[in-house]
Amino acid sequence: MSSRDDRAKEALRWIAPAGRSIDAVNAIVAAPLLERQRWSWRTWWIAFAVSLALTGAMAISIAWLLIEGIGIFGNNTTVVWGFPIANYVWWIGIGNAGTLISAMLLLLRQHWRASINRFAEAMTLFAAAIAGIFPILHLGRPLYFYWLAPYPNTMALWPQWRSALIWDFWAISSYILFSLLFWYIGLVPDLATLRDRAKGTMARTLFGIFALGWRGSARHWHTLHIYHMTMACLGVPLVVSLHSVVGLDFAASLMPGWAETIFPPYFVVGAMYSGFTMVIVLAAAVRWGLRMQALITIEHFEVMAKMLLAASTIMTLSYCTEWFTAWYGGEGAERRLVVYAFTGDYRVLYWLMLVFNCVIAQAFWFPAARRSIAAVVTIGILINVGMWLERMTIVLNTLSHGYAVSMWRTYAPTLWDFLLLFGSLGFFALLFLIFCRALPVVSMHETRRLLSAEAQP
Amino acid sequence: MTARPPIAPADAGRFDIDRRRALTLLAGGMALALSSCGPPREEIVPYVSMPEGMTPGLPLTFATAVAPFGYAQGVLATSHEGRPTRLDGNPRHPSSLGAIDIFAQAEIMSLYSPDRAQAVRHGDDIAAWSAFEGALQAQLEQEKLRRGAGLRIVTGRITSPTLIRQLQALADVFPAARWLRFEPIDDDAPRAGAVAAFGEPLVTLPHLDRAKVVLTLDADPLGPGPQQLRNAAAFAKVRQSRLTPDDFLRLYAVESMWRLTGANADERLALAPQLMRNVALRVAQALGASVDAGDLPDRARRFADAVAKDLAGNKGRAIVLAGDTQPPEVHALCHWINAQLAAPVDHLPPVDANDKSHAQSLQELADDLGAGRVETLIIIDSNPAYAAPGALKLRELIGKAPFSAHLGLTDNETAQRCQWRLPMSHALEAWSDLRAVDGTASIVQPLIRPLYDTRSAHHVIGLLHGDLGADPYALVRETWQARATGDFESQWRRWLHDGVIADSAAAPVTPPQPHLPNVAPAQGTPPLTLVLAPDPSLWDGRFADNAWLQECPRPLTHEVWGNSLKIAPQDAAIHGLRDGDVVKLAHDGVTVAAPVRVQDGQPAGVVAATLGLGRNAAGAIGNGVGFDVYPLRGPAAGWHIEGVTIEATDQRHAPPTTQHHFRLDAEDKDILRTLAIDDLPRGTASSQDRGESLPSLLPRQNEDGYQWAMVIDTSVCIGCNACIIACQSENNVSVVGPEEVEAGRIMHWLRVDTYFLHEKDEPPGFQPVPCMHCEHAPCEPVCPVAASVHDGEGLNAQVYNRCVGTRFCQSNCPYKVRRFNWFAYSHDQAYANLGADTVTAQYNPDVTVRGRGVMEKCTYCVQRISRARREAEKTDTPIPDGGVVTACQSACPTRAISFGDLNRKDSSVNALRHEPHHYAMLGHLGTRPRTTYLARLNNPNPAAQDDGA
Amino acid sequence: MPQIFRPYADTVLRVALLAILVVPVAAIGAAYAVMWSPYVTGQNVVIEQPVPFSHQHHVGALGLDCRYCHTAVERSPVASVPPTHTCMTCHSQLYTNAQMLAPVRKSLASGIPIRWNRVHRLPDYVYFDHSVHIANGVGCTTCHGQIDDMPLTRQTAPLTMSWCLSCHRDPAPHLRPQSQIFSTTWRPPKDAEKAGRALMSAYHIDTTHLTDCTVCHR
Repeated sequence: MSSRDDRAKEALRWIAPAGRSIDAVNAIVAAPLLERQRWSWRTWWIAFAVSLALTGAMAISIAWLLIEGIGIFGNNTTVVWGFPIANYVWWIGIGNAGTLISAMLLLLRQHWRASINRFAEAMTLFAAAIAGIFPILHLGRPLYFYWLAPYPNTMALWPQWRSALIWDFWAISSYILFSLLFWYIGLVPDLATLRDRAKGTMARTLFGIFALGWRGSARHWHTLHIYHMTMACLGVPLVVSLHSVVGLDFAASLMPGWAETIFPPYFVVGAMYSGFTMVIVLAAAVRWGLRMQALITIEHFEVMAKMLLAASTIMTLSYCTEWFTAWYGGEGAERRLVVYAFTGDYRVLYWLMLVFNCVIAQAFWFPAARRSIAAVVTIGILINVGMWLERMTIVLNTLSHGYAVSMWRTYAPTLWDFLLLFGSLGFFALLFLIFCRALPVVSMHETRRLLSAEAQP
Repeated sequence: MTARPPIAPADAGRFDIDRRRALTLLAGGMALALSSCGPPREEIVPYVSMPEGMTPGLPLTFATAVAPFGYAQGVLATSHEGRPTRLDGNPRHPSSLGAIDIFAQAEIMSLYSPDRAQAVRHGDDIAAWSAFEGALQAQLEQEKLRRGAGLRIVTGRITSPTLIRQLQALADVFPAARWLRFEPIDDDAPRAGAVAAFGEPLVTLPHLDRAKVVLTLDADPLGPGPQQLRNAAAFAKVRQSRLTPDDFLRLYAVESMWRLTGANADERLALAPQLMRNVALRVAQALGASVDAGDLPDRARRFADAVAKDLAGNKGRAIVLAGDTQPPEVHALCHWINAQLAAPVDHLPPVDANDKSHAQSLQELADDLGAGRVETLIIIDSNPAYAAPGALKLRELIGKAPFSAHLGLTDNETAQRCQWRLPMSHALEAWSDLRAVDGTASIVQPLIRPLYDTRSAHHVIGLLHGDLGADPYALVRETWQARATGDFESQWRRWLHDGVIADSAAAPVTPPQPHLPNVAPAQGTPPLTLVLAPDPSLWDGRFADNAWLQECPRPLTHEVWGNSLKIAPQDAAIHGLRDGDVVKLAHDGVTVAAPVRVQDGQPAGVVAATLGLGRNAAGAIGNGVGFDVYPLRGPAAGWHIEGVTIEATDQRHAPPTTQHHFRLDAEDKDILRTLAIDDLPRGTASSQDRGESLPSLLPRQNEDGYQWAMVIDTSVCIGCNACIIACQSENNVSVVGPEEVEAGRIMHWLRVDTYFLHEKDEPPGFQPVPCMHCEHAPCEPVCPVAASVHDGEGLNAQVYNRCVGTRFCQSNCPYKVRRFNWFAYSHDQAYANLGADTVTAQYNPDVTVRGRGVMEKCTYCVQRISRARREAEKTDTPIPDGGVVTACQSACPTRAISFGDLNRKDSSVNALRHEPHHYAMLGHLGTRPRTTYLARLNNPNPAAQDDGA
Repeated sequence: MPQIFRPYADTVLRVALLAILVVPVAAIGAAYAVMWSPYVTGQNVVIEQPVPFSHQHHVGALGLDCRYCHTAVERSPVASVPPTHTCMTCHSQLYTNAQMLAPVRKSLASGIPIRWNRVHRLPDYVYFDHSVHIANGVGCTTCHGQIDDMPLTRQTAPLTMSWCLSCHRDPAPHLRPQSQIFSTTWRPPKDAEKAGRALMSAYHIDTTHLTDCTVCHR
C-alpha cells in the first residue's frame, strides 16, 4: 500500500498535469505516429536532410577506404591507431547508457526512467551498432574480420583467445543482441496499443505483426514483467563487462599510460558519463520536437544533471589516480608520459579534455544550472566532446611517446578521418530520426504503470 | 588530405572513378564472381633443354665484381633460374672481405631499374645500333684524315685492364685523339700531394688495424668510398672489448662537417677546413719540425696538443690522414708526418692509368669544346653535363660538338645533350674486368642476358677501332691470356670461381723519404665557407635513379629523398634560421635554394652540403629530389668554397627524415649504453643484464632444439647502413616514397638509430634495431588471429597470410620494430614506377611479397634458417655454428652482428652474451629479447676535451 | 473492427522465430561443406593439358621411376617438370609422328617450352619442399595418390592446411622406409603404428617444431 502511495507521489512529481491520465499518455506518445498533421515537421525534414547528407559522406569515405586501403587515414608506423579506435570507444560508451538507465534504474526502482528509457535504449542500439563498424573498418584487411570468430574452417585454426580484441568481439556482439531483445520486447505492448489506435489497415497490419499478437492479458503482463526483471539482472553485469573489456584493450598491454588496473572501472564510468549526456541531448530534442513536455519534465533533467555531476567527480578522481600512480610507481616512462600529456604535442586536446570532463559539470552544484535545459544540454554536448578527446588522448599520447625514443612521432588526422567521424554522427541521427517517426519514443505501458497508482483513489 | 603515394603518369587516371570506369569495375566484378570457381589456373613452363649445372628451385651463386666508384668491389651474385636477385660480399676480394656496401648492393636494383635506357636514341627518336654504327664509321673516316685531332673520349674512372688496353690502342689509329677522364668525386688533391711528397702519384692505404692512434683531417676512411669496407674491417679489429686499453684504437677526427669517421671518433673537433693545416703544423712541430704553426682557437689548440702528444708517443702505431678538402701541401705534410711516425701505411702505384688530373681533363674538354676543336665526342658512363663544376659551363658546351654520343645505363643530363644516346649493359649483363684500389683484378661475368638491346663499353670502344663485332668476352680473355702462366683455361676457370685473379695486386713500393713541405699557416678566421662531400646515399648522383638508395637514411640526420644545408647553431642564430627554412646559397652570382638543417657539431662559419642531388634527368625516381650544389663549384672543382653567402627566404621545406628524436634522456640510458674502455669490467657478466632474472608469470618457451639469438656490438657499428639495404634486398622490403616517409610510414625492417648521448656536438652512438624476437613478446598475446606467434626455435614469427591488420602488435611493441602496409606498396600502389614488371624480377622467391593491410617485420631471415634446417634434416647433421647467416650480418663490414644458436654452448652468440658489457635493450620490461647488444665502447682522451687538462 | 490476421498467422510467426535460430547455423554448416568440396579444393578435378600425358602408361605400364622425369625432387623444393629434351629421349624413337605428341616436337623444334597447366597448386605464401619430405620418408603416392593409374593427372589430396597439419602433427602412419619412397605399390604394414614409430626415430623426426607457422610460411 505504502509503495503504491510513493508511486502516486512520484507520478505527481514526474508527470506534468497535461499527461496525468492513461488516455493522455497514449495520445501524447502516439501523436507523432498516428496524427502527424497535428504540427509541421519542417525541422524534422531539415534534420533528416542534414543527417542523410552526412550518412552519404560516411558511405563515400567507407567506399574510398575499401578501394584505397587504410593508408587514407592519418596513422603512421608509430601511431598505428587513431580516429577509428577513439570513435569506437566513444560510441560504445554512448551505447552503454541506455541499458544502464533501463536495466539498472529498473532494478533500483527508479520509476521516473519510464519516460526516457525507450529512446535511451534505441540510442544504445544504434550507438552500439555504429561502434561495431569501426573495429572492422580500421582493419588492414576488413574482408577478413570474421577470422575473429571461431568458425569451422579448413585451416584448423582458432582465434587467439588471449587477445582483448577477441573479448571485445564477444562483448559487442552479445551486447547488441541483448539490447535488441530488451528494447524490442519492451516495445511489444506499445505496438499493440498503436495497432489498436491506428486507423489505416497498413499501419495496423505492420504494428500488428510486430506486436506478436499481444492481447494485454494478465498473463502477458506477468510474463513481460518477469522477462524484464530477468533481462535487467543479466544486463547490468553485461553492460559493466562490455566497457571493462574495452578498457582492457588498452590495459592488457605493457605500454606506459595503458597498462593500468584502473582502466576497466574508469572506462565504465566514462561510458556512463558520455552516455547520459547523449541521453540528455536527445531527451531535450524529443521533448521539444515531439511535444513531450508533459512526460519529459524539468525534474528528469535535474536528476540526470545530478548523475553527471557524480560521474564527473569520479572521472576527475580517476585522472588524479592515474597521475598519482605514474608518479608513485616511479617508472621513468610513465612519469614522462604524464608530463608529455600536459606539455607535449597534444597538450591542447588534453587540457580541453580536462576542462570539459572535470570542470564544467561542477556547475551542476547549482540548482539553477540543473533546471535550465539550455545549460544542461550545452554542458552535455561539451562533455561528449570531452569524452571523445579523452579516448583520443589515451590512444595518441601513449603511442606517440612510448619507449622507443627514435620512433617518437606525432599523429595528424586526414580529411577521411573526420568524414568518417561526422558521417557516423549523421548516420546515428538519421537512425534516431526515423525511429522517432516509426515507433513510440516513450514507453506508454511503463508510463501508464507509473500513472496507474494515481488513477486509484 | 590523403597520404596516397603519387602514381606514375602512365596510370594517373587510376583513381578518378568515372562512370565508364565504374561500369568496368562492375563488369569485372561480375566476371570474377562467375569465374571464381576454385583457384585461378597456373602454368608450369619447363625448359626445353635444361641448362648445365642448374637445378630448378635451387639458386646458383657466381663470383663477379661491380664498380660503384670505378674501383672493383668483389661480390657473390645469387641467381634464381637465371635471374640475379641479390649481391653479397666476396670474402676473397680485398675491397670486400666478405662485406658489401650499400652502393654495390643497390646495383641489383639498378639492373632492374625502370628508368634504365632501353634503346638507342638519335635525338629523341628511337634508332637502331646499326644506324649509330653507320653514322660513327662515317665520322671516323673524317677523324682518320685528321689523325683523330677532333676525337675526344670522356670516361669515368677506368680500372678495367681490358678497357685501358683498348683505349690505349686507339692511340695507334688516332694519335691526336684525347682520352679525358672525369670522376666528380676526384682524388686530385691526394695525388698532387703524393707527387709533392714522393715525386709520383702514389695511393696511400692505411692499416688501421695496426694503429693505436689515428688523426683524420677531414679524411673519411670509414665513410662511403672504395676503401670503406677494408678500413671498417681493420677499424673493428682494434675496437674489440677483449683488447687492453693499451691496444684499443683511439680515433681523433678534425672535421668541417659530420662524416662517419667523426661520428665514430673518440675525440672530434669541428674546425673550418682552412684552419686544419695549423693542426697538422702543430703535430709537425711536436715531431721536431721547425715550422710556424699559426694560431688556433683554445679548444682546437688543446685538442691539437693532446693529439700531437698522443701521436708522438705511439711511433709505429700512429697515422695521420688528410682528406679531400685539404690542399696538396697539407697532404704532403701528412706524408712527412707519417714518415716521422713510421706510420703503418702502404704506398701503391695508382690503378687508374690516366695521370691527368680530373680538373685538367675537364678544363681541357671545356676549352676544346669552346674553341670548336672537338669534332667527335664519345662519352662513356660519365655525366659531366650534370656533375662538372658549373663554372665550366659544360652543360651548354657539350651541344657544340658536331658528333656526340653518350653510352650509359640511363639517359642522363649528358645523354640528353648528345646526338646519340646509347644504352649500356649493366655490370651483371656483360663481360669485363676490373681492378680494386690495391690493384687486385677480377673478371666481371654476366649473370643474365642483357634485358634490353644494350652494349658494353668494350663493344663501343671496339666500334671506334672499326670493329663492329667486338665481343667483350673475347677481349677480356685476350687481355688475360697474355698474362696467364701455364694452362689458361684452368686458370680462367679458377679466376671466375674465386672472383679474384690470384696475386694481381700491386706490390707496395717504398717511397723516398718525403721532405718537409713548406706550408704557410692559416691566419685569421676565414669567411663563410661551403664544404662539399659525396652524398652518403647517392655518392656523386649516379645512383639518383636507385629507389633503395634514395630511401636509405643518411647517417646522423636520417634524411631521405633529399638533402639539406648543414649549418652551425651559432650561424643559424645569426641568420635566424630553423630546420627546414630555405635559404639562398650564393657564390659568384650562382644561387642555389637549399633547406637548412641546424646541426650541433658543425663548425661555426662553415656550412656543408652533399653532392649528387637535384638531378633533372634521373627518371621518375631521381628527378627533382634535393638541391644541386655542383653549379657552385669553381673550375678547380674544389671541395670547399670560400666566401659563400646565405640569405633567408620565406619558404620552408625539409627533406623527410626517418628519425625525429636523437637525444637520450637519463632514464633512457638502457636503450643505448656507452662505456669507456678503461671502465670496462673484466670477466663475464651475470644474466642480470639480459633481464632474465626478472620474474614472469608467462610460460617459458620451449627450449630444446635450435634457439636463435642475435648479438649486436654497438661499439663497432659505424652506421654505414649496409645492413639496411641488405635486409631490403633479401626480404623484398618495399620502397614507399617521400610522401609516405613524410607521413611516418617507413618500411625498413631494420633501422640504425642514432643517439647523441653526451654533449650534442660529441660523436653519437649507432644502434641497429631489428626485431628483438622477445621470448615474452608483447605482440603475441594481443593478436586476435594468432598471426604473431612464437615458433619452437625462439623466433617471433609474423604470418602475413593470417594477419588481418589490427596493428595491436605494433601498438604493444616497446621497440616499435613492426612495419605496416598502409597501401599496396609492392603492388598496384607502388611509388612512382616501381610497380614495373622488371622490379618484380628482383624479388627473393623465398620470401612472401606482402600485400596491402598486413603487418610485417624482421624475421631473422627465417627463409635462410629454414633452408639450413631442411639441409640439416636431409643429411641428419645439425646446423653448425655460423650455419645460418642473416642478410644484415653478411653485409656488415665490421662484423658487428652475430647470429647463432643459444643451445650450442660454443656458439659465438653465447660467448658474446657473457661479455661484461652485454645488455638487453629495455630489459627491465621483462620481454627477454633474443636480440641483445654490447655497450658502445670508446676511448676518450680527457686532455683533448673542453674541460681537459 | 475487422480482423487483420487469420489464425495461421501464429504458425507463420512461430516458423519465422524458428528460422531466426536455425538459418545462421545452417548457413555456416553449408559454407563449411563448400570449403571442403572439390569445387574449392580442386580435388579429383582433371585439368586440360596441351599433351594428354598419362602417368598410368608411363609409370603404371612402363614402370618408369618418378625421378626419370622429376629429376630435382631429391635436391630441390620443386619436383621439376621435365624439359622437352627428356620427353624426346624416348619419343625421338617411339610414336615419332603421333598426333598427340605434335606439341612436344614443335617445342623441341622451335625451342619454345610446352606450357603445362598446374595440377597441384599451393598458395604463394606456402613454401613446400619436396626434397625434405622425400628424405624423411614421405612417399610420392602419400600425397599424389595412385599416380600409376591416372590416365590424366589429377589432385587426389585436398591440400588444405588442416590436411597438411594432420600429417605434421602425427607423421608416423604416413612414413615409409627409404627404399619404398618412389614405390607406387607400397601399402602400410599391419603394425603401421609401431613401424611408423620406428621410422620416426630412424629419420630423427621431431614433431614439436613441425607445426610451427614458420615451417611453411615465410
